[in-house]
Amino acid sequence: MSIFVESSDVLPLVDLEIALPVGSLQDPAGQEGLAQLTGHLMRRGPRGLSQERFEERLASLGARVSVEVSMRSTRIRATVLRRNLQPLLGLVADVVWQPALRTTDFAKLKRRTQAALIARLDDDQTLGAVCFREALFGEHPYGRTLSGDTDSLARIGIQQVKDFYARHVAKGVFLVGVAGDVSEVEVRSLIASHFPKARRATKKGFDVPATHIRRGRHVVIVDKPERTQTQLFIGTLGARTRDRNLFPLIVSNTAFGGTFSGPLMQQVRGVRGWSYGAYSRLLHSTQRDAWYMSTAPAAEYSADCAALQLDLLERWVDRGTKKADLDFAQRYLVNSHCFDRDTPSKRLEARLDVELLDIPRSYVDKYDQLVARVTRQQANDATRARISPRDLIIVVVATANEVASSFERLPGVKSLQIVPFDRR
Amino acid sequence: MAAQAPAFMGAPEVLIERLNRGVRKRNARWTFVRDHAFGDALTLRRFRLGNGLTVLTLVDRSAPTVSYHTWFRVGSRHERPGKTGLAHLFEHLMFSETRNHPHGDFDRLMERAGAEANAATWTDWTCYYENAPRDALPLLIELEADRMSNLVLRVPQVTSEKEVVANERKLRVDDDVEGKALELLYDGAFRRHPYRWPTIGWMKDIRGFTVRDCQEFYRTHYAPSNATVVIAGDFNEQKALSLVQEHYGGLSAARIAKLRAPSKEPSQRAERIFQLTAPTPTEKLLIGYRAPSFSDPDTPALVIANEVLFGGTSSRLQRLFCLDEEIALSVRGSISPFIDPGLFEMWIFLREGKRKADALRLLDREIERLGSKGPSPLELEKAINQLELSFLHSLETAGGKAEQIGFYETVANDGAAVFDRLAAYRRVTGTDVKRAVAKYLRPSRRTRVEILRKAS
Repeated sequence: MSIFVESSDVLPLVDLEIALPVGSLQDPAGQEGLAQLTGHLMRRGPRGLSQERFEERLASLGARVSVEVSMRSTRIRATVLRRNLQPLLGLVADVVWQPALRTTDFAKLKRRTQAALIARLDDDQTLGAVCFREALFGEHPYGRTLSGDTDSLARIGIQQVKDFYARHVAKGVFLVGVAGDVSEVEVRSLIASHFPKARRATKKGFDVPATHIRRGRHVVIVDKPERTQTQLFIGTLGARTRDRNLFPLIVSNTAFGGTFSGPLMQQVRGVRGWSYGAYSRLLHSTQRDAWYMSTAPAAEYSADCAALQLDLLERWVDRGTKKADLDFAQRYLVNSHCFDRDTPSKRLEARLDVELLDIPRSYVDKYDQLVARVTRQQANDATRARISPRDLIIVVVATANEVASSFERLPGVKSLQIVPFDRR
Repeated sequence: MAAQAPAFMGAPEVLIERLNRGVRKRNARWTFVRDHAFGDALTLRRFRLGNGLTVLTLVDRSAPTVSYHTWFRVGSRHERPGKTGLAHLFEHLMFSETRNHPHGDFDRLMERAGAEANAATWTDWTCYYENAPRDALPLLIELEADRMSNLVLRVPQVTSEKEVVANERKLRVDDDVEGKALELLYDGAFRRHPYRWPTIGWMKDIRGFTVRDCQEFYRTHYAPSNATVVIAGDFNEQKALSLVQEHYGGLSAARIAKLRAPSKEPSQRAERIFQLTAPTPTEKLLIGYRAPSFSDPDTPALVIANEVLFGGTSSRLQRLFCLDEEIALSVRGSISPFIDPGLFEMWIFLREGKRKADALRLLDREIERLGSKGPSPLELEKAINQLELSFLHSLETAGGKAEQIGFYETVANDGAAVFDRLAAYRRVTGTDVKRAVAKYLRPSRRTRVEILRKAS
């Protein structure tokens, strides 16, 4: 069993994490949302304790438990007042080893998940982000939403959840992490007694097919009435975690759109006042994940803002980043890195990520060096190698009849699709 | 908190004596006010410069970071009709040029140092903060002192920033159902008090601001005597105070005109109901009961009541609305942490096809039950433990500690009162909760916003 401990006696708090190497990528085709439903049903408590009693026990201990499912992992996280660590551990262990997985709870959870999908329609930013991934990745598993959709949820029954639990959780293949006001010796003895069946998770991840770029520029308008403002996502494929271009691209992207001082923010917000925020983000995974810019301009100049961003993007890729701007980005990344590890729970999270997501250990241990030694040549070559301004997905959440014609006229647009916000 | 290395090796009186040696300008001379215990192991120290600047220091070496907060006692309550949103617009302008630094320099220098610099404005205050690696502290002090008195306000920056704020308003209010409903709630619940207008301001007012408005606002509210600086984290106290003295000591003790107290809000005698129609998939209810101020002795009991009703999955309303009856997807409650009496806000996010009337009936029933019978001992224990957990989490980082101290100093007039609040929660009895609920959560004291679906 792998146990990771980050001790700190600064506050009488302890964080516990059970990290499983299973996520939405393991959802069977047509049953998207199964991993998340399984995690959330486990969260409803262990056998022999109603959900109501389980919640009361947690609250009275001064504890909170959450389950977060991502594409590649499930994290059962608990936080508790130091004095109540022992009983909390017992409860979490029961959730892992003997979850109730009751039919009645399952029916309620499914209805709740369906209701959450409907409520999500209120959130324009989430609508845009989900649509962007779907348009970018198409049928690839990276395009799936974690919670599935109405149709896929309808196909999932309690038996599928029980099977998923038996296949991916019950075998005890997971990591245990503890951070906070507890010593390593104490943790090891507590974990050994509560998780005796746990086995070390292997680094071998789930095989995911390569992602493929969609050629040309494609616009998708998520049509929602009465939008005075739009949510705009423009992006393409980025990098893999184990890409030799990753760190040069991280530095280059930071210089372009990763800070308030970068050209993206300065041109969009500083000079024109067109959007409250303007950032570019680089995600990485086993296969090439997304790189994208996000802004929120008013409807009246949304297409102008998109055109400006396209121009900035082309200049970034074609002309590269200046030496001074690259130095600035490197200093920013190195100097601000202390905030990735200023609490015991953040330090723990980084260690678990290395083990669970097959991130090279050097990315954490030698982060500063990896950033600092990127040369201008490497950064600009990596940008040109990975970011293709000709092949872009442009998603805008807007009232379609107000913006469609102006987005259609953007340079290089090959297709434009309008999708009603509530009928996707 | 557990013990750690002492915050400062010498007595504060000795430190002050050393810092004041040879300093003739009255504005630059330090006074040590007092020490306050901050938990079991840390010490919060209060100093004052001759020009009126209050400085609170908390040395905490648990991480190699430092947080620098500057809290001004000015917020949207200090505006007037026709000029709403000025405090917030001004917060944006504070990142602009000064007599010593051109436009863009502030953000660039901060980011280069690895610092996160941002700000927030609300009804009673405006807070500027930086979270930075410990070595960056001299830069933070220099730049913050500079913009406190040397800001340059010109037409291009004001014009551009007005556009940014207009976009922020569209993001947070005009195109956001919750933002719009909250605006309607406060506008309806208050008739006289400035809490009735939104901190971001009405769009017409945002569009109308001039450079002159901004200059006047700066002269009226931005001065050392109207500010508190909080420094928390891993730093050398003597060096920090010396730098503060060097950079702020030259600022004059500008006279901040004593502002007229806002009009007292007349008591509410009947429920007020408003409707908002929006392109939303589900209906919602937003209810605001008139609540006491943050420092009112009744507030801790109401905070416990909020936990009993809304805190976590085992709370009464979460269980009833979301699990048992499945009427709502979620419910939540909070009490506005304002200097003057505000609102106890309650949100009910209904599920598709569920009726508002049913939700309101259940809510009234549960509030009535809590007001007549009070919470059970288990509910009290749960509420207090959950509040303690949240409180400790809020102190995890240097930034979290500085924020709590600055907030308590500005809203409750005592930065050291952070831990007193937790003690106050522990003293609350079931009878206190019962009494507070019966007193404040009456239908005649509430304003209700019903959010209805617009047919597509």
